[in-house]
Amino acid sequence: MTIPTQEERDQAQETLAYIRQTMESAAGFTAVSGWGLVGAGLVGLAASGLAARGDDPTTLTIWIPAAGLAIATAGLSNAAKVRRMGIPLWSGSFRKLAWVMTPILVAGGVLTYALATAGADPLLPGMWLALYGAGVTAGGTLSVRAIRSMGLLLLAFGAAALLRPEWGPPLLATGFGAAHVVFGILVMKRHGG
Amino acid sequence: MAGSVATDDLNRLIHERIRLGIVSALAANETLSFGELKDVLATSDGNLSVHARKLEDAGYIKVTKGFADRKPKTEYRLTAKGRRALEDYLAQMETILSAAREALERS
Repeated sequence: MTIPTQEERDQAQETLAYIRQTMESAAGFTAVSGWGLVGAGLVGLAASGLAARGDDPTTLTIWIPAAGLAIATAGLSNAAKVRRMGIPLWSGSFRKLAWVMTPILVAGGVLTYALATAGADPLLPGMWLALYGAGVTAGGTLSVRAIRSMGLLLLAFGAAALLRPEWGPPLLATGFGAAHVVFGILVMKRHGG
Repeated sequence: MAGSVATDDLNRLIHERIRLGIVSALAANETLSFGELKDVLATSDGNLSVHARKLEDAGYIKVTKGFADRKPKTEYRLTAKGRRALEDYLAQMETILSAAREALERS
């Protein structure tokens, strides 16, 4: 082989980077865990049931631990699926997803504190659903179509719960609970657990 | 790159960017649907169809048409021939880089 030109060397490097990036992106695309979504949904349903028993269906003593448990359940299931697929955990898609979701979760935390201290608790379900829905919709561009559909549905639930706060608790149960279970089963059926 | 001795032997079929993307994406997934491939590669329906057909004609990918929830669904899978072609192509890229590295070390 003759000595490759600088241009050829640059193109080879760029081509290898493109192949690596495409493989990472494609692998991460279907690496969402259906079991993780179902697990998070069951946590959501349990939290709704517990909260409905008390006087305050938006009580933070139930919803904050439930959010932590749901995130941990989904995160661990996704990590397990990613490992099974042989993809590096901190690959391109997952790094981007973390950048999409983390600011939204932080904003949700700050808004929860602000609304709760201002006595606007009835707006909490709508805010949670709308913010989470926006994050899932944006993060869904890196994943299978079902995730984007779920994000849009949650966003719509959030908007409805903000406009009609009395619908908040049932929409919270449907969005964080039932919707996750249904979409999780759909993902499992199409792309594995 | 065309015309150079270093790159004359490249497999032109998968050297094209979208076709290389299809083969790379399928190397990382057992199967991908038409819609999923379109999203991963951020390309149009027509572009994907044309390039996928060329890869199918070459025996690099296998296309399965069926239905999911009563909607038509096209699924793509990399064949053993396609995987070998990608591996050979990767080896050629590595060779170009190695040759360039050696030339740099000698100079």
